[in-house]
Amino acid sequence: MRNIFHIAKWEFLTRFKTRSFLFSTFILPLIFSLLITLPVYFLTYEQKVSTKLVGLVNLSDINISNKLQEYLNRSYKLKNGSPEYIILPVSVENAPSYKSAIAELQKIAAQRDSISRAYDEIKILRASYYRNPNLMNKEYLLQKSYNQMIEIRESKDLLEMEYENYKEVVDSIRSSEARLSADSLLIKNILNAYIVLPENVFDAGLIEYHSQHPGDLLESERMQKILNEVVIKERLSQADIESEQIIHWLNPVKLIKYQLSSKGPTEWDFYIEFYGSVIGVVLLFMAIFTSGGFLFSSVLQEKTNRVIEILLSYASSRQIMAGKIFGLGFLGLLQVLIWLGIAAIFVLFNLFQAGQISYLNLENAFYFLHYFSLGYLLYAAIFVSIGAIFSSEQEAQQINIILRTIAIIPVLLVFLFLKEPASDIITILTYIPLLTPYFMIMKISQYGIPVSSEIYLTSGILILSIIGMVFVAAKIFRLGILIYGKKLSLTEIVHLLRSS
Amino acid sequence: MVEVTKIKKAFDVHLAVDDLSFMVKPGEIFGLLGPNGAGKTTTLRMLMNILRPDEGEILYKDIPRSKVSRKLFGYLPEERGLYQPARVLDFLIYIGLLNKLSKHRAEVEAIRYLDKLALVGYTRHRIDQLSKGMQQKIQFITAILHDPEVLILDEPFVGLDPVNQIILRDLIQQHKSEGKIIILSTHQMDEVERHCDHICLLNQGRNILQGTIQQIKSRFREDAYYIESEEDISFIRDIKAVKILEEHNRSCKIAINSKDITKEKLLQSLIEKINIKKFIKVEPTLNDIFIKLVQKEEVVEKK
Repeated sequence: MRNIFHIAKWEFLTRFKTRSFLFSTFILPLIFSLLITLPVYFLTYEQKVSTKLVGLVNLSDINISNKLQEYLNRSYKLKNGSPEYIILPVSVENAPSYKSAIAELQKIAAQRDSISRAYDEIKILRASYYRNPNLMNKEYLLQKSYNQMIEIRESKDLLEMEYENYKEVVDSIRSSEARLSADSLLIKNILNAYIVLPENVFDAGLIEYHSQHPGDLLESERMQKILNEVVIKERLSQADIESEQIIHWLNPVKLIKYQLSSKGPTEWDFYIEFYGSVIGVVLLFMAIFTSGGFLFSSVLQEKTNRVIEILLSYASSRQIMAGKIFGLGFLGLLQVLIWLGIAAIFVLFNLFQAGQISYLNLENAFYFLHYFSLGYLLYAAIFVSIGAIFSSEQEAQQINIILRTIAIIPVLLVFLFLKEPASDIITILTYIPLLTPYFMIMKISQYGIPVSSEIYLTSGILILSIIGMVFVAAKIFRLGILIYGKKLSLTEIVHLLRSS
Repeated sequence: MVEVTKIKKAFDVHLAVDDLSFMVKPGEIFGLLGPNGAGKTTTLRMLMNILRPDEGEILYKDIPRSKVSRKLFGYLPEERGLYQPARVLDFLIYIGLLNKLSKHRAEVEAIRYLDKLALVGYTRHRIDQLSKGMQQKIQFITAILHDPEVLILDEPFVGLDPVNQIILRDLIQQHKSEGKIIILSTHQMDEVERHCDHICLLNQGRNILQGTIQQIKSRFREDAYYIESEEDISFIRDIKAVKILEEHNRSCKIAINSKDITKEKLLQSLIEKINIKKFIKVEPTLNDIFIKLVQKEEVVEKK
């Protein structure tokens, strides 16, 4: 027993002082956290950097620019409180082609108006003829004025047709001029985007969105959402429905997600849950593979520099194996405790609102330690065996990479897991001993506290696998440790295991 | 007393040690000799209980080796290995602790030996900063630090300069004088003649010769003489009663193989013919015996 202690202490101290331990305890998790949180930070940061101008080409008769602005202000504001979007109606009043067209239209309108007046006058005149019983030549006057009236009406109809025709021309000039000037503003980057409301927007519901980056789904979808609201409200108000009623009807629904846990329902935030699961799993992975990696190289090094012969002279192979596993296991525990300590500081001082994250609690810290210890012991037994079988670090690294690949599977499956934590595939994977610790850590951060029967069952499976693996590892270690210069083949291993 | 009785050890089909027996008494230095691959290291590993014999048994003070406390034995493996980045004193204390020394005692002993081996200035050095010879001396300290009753040394003198060889030899002799058992392997025959009381010559896992140095030498004593002259001595070939063992330009080694002639008579007849510079009786060296026996084995095998 005392030799196990001495060996464990030696292994612990020699690795504790290495740069590699400090690196994987402090720097690696920091790099990893930055790596996953920075992109999200930049994404949200960039969007709110400045006010954006959105052009409005309104070809309809209804003025909705103020309403649009009001709705946008209500939903999207910058941090300093000013609106994120400003609607800029694109005017074409000063364009020369439009001006002359308007002048022409006005001339036609003036002609039309004067002839309308003449028409009205002749109608009044005829009415006065008709009502006057004393009028001389009544028949003649009525006949004459009638001819005049027909003549005037004909020219009036013609002028009205001309006016309508020309008005269409003006509208098309206005539409094309407006687009032209909006495009130039877009190119000069004055406008972020512009929208075109066609004349029949409230019936057809088709609105054009022009931008240099129509692929920016965030922007276009925001605009669509707001326009949708505005148009629907306008349609309702045209149908003579009271505005209070409209507001009441359009009041949107928002989903607040809650999660059932032993402490009652708690609010659910995708990002926190997602990162909670990923960070938890990756930290577990790092902890197991840091100390496991030390164990692995420790066995291999002693094999290569032959210190193992000195050790075997004064301690049994079991003592050496146990000493190494425990010594480096305590190093891993220390690493995990340092991380838990850092998390505790975050929670206690509520840094980054860590105090409100429900899964950061003492109970889960205990589970993390629990699954780290079991996971480490299982991987340690495997690492010891591999280290004893192979003669060079290079050869052994290949197996190490395979193990890492297996262990990183849970990280890759996080999305699948978040979508449906109780799915069959996740349940099956949870009961594969090499993956159990990782999936349980994910489940713990998800459910708050996982079902206790699952904890008992997975712990049982892990403990049985550990006992089995340690039993095999002890044999392989004893036999493999002295054989250097060559790699044991699988048949040789089986042979050695049988013969011992 | 270490008693080895009929031990056998095979690796796959290769028989590394075959039917080997010997005995070493307290205060004795026992030498295992043999060419490379003769089974010396395997035998020492079995003595250290790192390997178990397939057959036969090893007893120390009539107790099976596997039941003997590990700290009674000290081992210098042939493969020199140390924790490269560790500090000299830390590593020695660690080995001392494994051998049930107290930390204080381990430190005192380590410094005492470092002092003896002129390494006391290197206690805080990392092992990989030391030369190969220094590393070897440190490894020797790991074997002797806990004052074992049986000291097992695999090729202890390989790689050491003459000065350090002398220091090491003195330490081994001192250990012997304290009544301890020392078992060492080597293929440096002059070392064996100088140190060992008892030797065992191994070839291909088998014991081909065993006994004290005197016993072996007297057994292999041949009436051989070394003759050197400044003149041509090839006529010696024609003398019937003489067998040429080795012939060089102006010297040769001969044996008298007839009872009719004595060395005096032979010398007389030689002096008459040529000017003799040297005429010496040759004692067989272990080297000669070693080569002779190993070559004989090979011949037997070829047949």
